[in-house]
Amino acid sequence: MGKKTSGRMHSRTMMILAQYFTNKMAVFCASLIAVLILMAIFFPILSPYHYTDVDYTALYAKPSAEHILGCDAAGRDMLMLLCYSLRNALIVGAGAGAVQLVIGLVLGGVSGYFGGRIDNVLSRVIDIMYGFPTFLFNLILVLLLGRSLFTILLAIGLTSWAPMARLVRSQVITVKQSDYVEAGRALGASNARILFHYILPNCLGPIVICLTQGIPAAMFAESGMSLIGLGILPPMPSWGGLITTGQQFILYYPHMILFPALSFGITVLAFSYVGDGLRDAFDPRQIH
Amino acid sequence: MLRYIAKRLAYIFLAVLVISAITFALLQLAPGNYLETQRLLEKTMTDATVSAQMKEAWEKFYDLDKPAVYRYGKFLVNAVQGKFGPSYKYPTQNIEDIIGRTLPISARLALMAITVALAVGIPLGIVAAVKQNRILDRIVMLVSMIGSSVPAYVTAVLLSWALGVALHLLPVIGWGDAVNYVLPVISLSLGPVGTVTKYTRTTLVETFHQEYIRVARAKGGNFFQVTFKHALRNSLIPLVTVIGPMVASLTVGTVFVENMFAIPGLGQYYASAAINRDYPMVMATTVVFALLVMGMNLLVDILHAMLDPRVKKSLTQKGG
Repeated sequence: MGKKTSGRMHSRTMMILAQYFTNKMAVFCASLIAVLILMAIFFPILSPYHYTDVDYTALYAKPSAEHILGCDAAGRDMLMLLCYSLRNALIVGAGAGAVQLVIGLVLGGVSGYFGGRIDNVLSRVIDIMYGFPTFLFNLILVLLLGRSLFTILLAIGLTSWAPMARLVRSQVITVKQSDYVEAGRALGASNARILFHYILPNCLGPIVICLTQGIPAAMFAESGMSLIGLGILPPMPSWGGLITTGQQFILYYPHMILFPALSFGITVLAFSYVGDGLRDAFDPRQIH
Repeated sequence: MLRYIAKRLAYIFLAVLVISAITFALLQLAPGNYLETQRLLEKTMTDATVSAQMKEAWEKFYDLDKPAVYRYGKFLVNAVQGKFGPSYKYPTQNIEDIIGRTLPISARLALMAITVALAVGIPLGIVAAVKQNRILDRIVMLVSMIGSSVPAYVTAVLLSWALGVALHLLPVIGWGDAVNYVLPVISLSLGPVGTVTKYTRTTLVETFHQEYIRVARAKGGNFFQVTFKHALRNSLIPLVTVIGPMVASLTVGTVFVENMFAIPGLGQYYASAAINRDYPMVMATTVVFALLVMGMNLLVDILHAMLDPRVKKSLTQKGG
C-alpha cells in the first residue's frame, strides 16, 4: 500500500467493475456490443460486397452460402446493409451522446451551481424539453439541417439533452454543499474551476449511466427518422429504412424485414442491459 | 391548490408560445418549400402545369407574399381561437377539422395502450415482486426489459410477421374493424407494459422492506392481506407519475405505428406534413401535441396531489 491515493482510486474502480461482473447478462451484453463494434468496423473493409453493389442476378435472394442473410430488392447483400446500419447507428449514438453531454453539462452545471433566477429560467427550459416528445423537433431540425449522418446526429443531440441537464443540475446541487467545495472556495478557486475540477468529477457515475441510456434512445430516433422517410439519405442504409422497405415484402421475402428488425432489437436491448448493469454497479444499494 | 393550477396553466401557455415560435423560426430557415418538394417528389406542380399566375395566387392565398412575422402573428391570433386555416396539401379543408377527425383515432390508440399497460403491467409487477429473484421474476423482468427498450416499430414488425404472416391470425394492414386495432395496440403497449411492470416491482419491493409491513405480518396478516391491502395501496400511488412521460412517448409511438399500419391518425398526418413541408400542418400539429402532453402532465400532477397528501403539501408550498 505504498501509493495510497492511487490505490484507493484503483479499489473504487475495481469495486464498480467487480460489481458489474456479478451481473452475467450485463457482461454478456457488453461483450456482444464489443463484437458488434468490431463487426461495424471490419466487415465493410473485409467483405467482398459494398452497400452500393447491385446484383441483378440476386434480387430478393433468400439466405444462401453466398449471401448469408440474403439480398434486398436491388440484390444488395443484406449482411452488408445491416453492418452499415449498425455503423451509422453507433456513430449517431456516440455523437448524439457527446452533444447531449456538452449541452447537459453546461446548462445543468450553470443552473445548479448558480441557482437563483438563472436556475429558475433554465429549469423551466429543461422541464419543457424533458416532457416534450422531442422526436417531433428532430424531424423539423432535419428539414433545416439536411439529411447527412452528421446533421442527423446533431439534430438528435440538440433535442435530447434534457435528462442529462436535469441529472447534472441535481448532482451539482447535492455536491455543491459539501465541505471540500467550501474549502476550494476558501482557497480562492474560480467558479469555473470549482465547477469543472471539484464538482463535476464527483458526478461522474450518474453521468456515465445517463450517457449509456442515451445511446439506445439516439439509435431509436435515428432509425425512427428513416422509418418516417426523413432519415439518412439512401442508398446509405439505415435500420428504419430497411424495415420500411422490408414491410412491403413481408409476405414473400420475410428475410428482408426479419433480419433488420431482429438485429436492431438485439442491439438496442444489449445497450439497455449495459446501462442497467452500470447503474447497479455504481449504486449497489438500488439492488434488492 | 387552485393557485398552483393557475400558475401551471400560465407556464403551459408560455411554453406553447415558445415552442410555436421556435418551430416557426426553424421552418422559415429550412431550405426548400412545399411547391419545390411537390415538383421533385410528386412530379406535380411543375412549370408546365402551374403557371406563374397560379403560383402567385397560391402564394397570396397562404400569405406567402407577406413577411414571416405577419404570418406568425396571424397564426397566433387564429390558434388562440382554435383555428389553423387550410393546409398546403389539403387546401379545401381546415386543419382544425383534420385534427378533429384524426386526433381521436390516435388518442384512442394511446388510451388503449395505457389501459393494456396498467392491466398487464401491474399484475406482472406484483408477481415479480412477490417471487423476487426467483425464476418467474427473471422471466417477467426479461420480458419487461424487451418491452421497454425495443422500439414499438420493431416489435410491430416482428408481431405482424409472427401473428399475421406465419400464423394467419390477424390482418397485417387495414383499418376500420376492431380486429385492426389488435396489432397496433399490442406493439404500442409493450413499452408501457415494461415500464409499469418495472415500476410496480421496484416500489413494491421497497414497500415490503418497510416497518409497517413487518408489523402487519407480525400481527398475523396473511400473504394476500399484506400484499394487496397494505403494500400495494401505498406503492401504486407513485405509478401515476409514470403516466405523464408515457403520454409523451406514446405520442411518438403513434407516429411510427400509424405509419407502419397505415392508420389515418394524427401521427401519420404529422409525419407526412413534415416530409411534404406542409408547414401550416406541422405548426398546428406541434402545438396540439405540445398542449396535449403538457396538459396530461398537469392532470397527472393534480391526480398525484389528490391521492397523496404529502405531495399536495409540497406542491402548494412550492406553488404558493
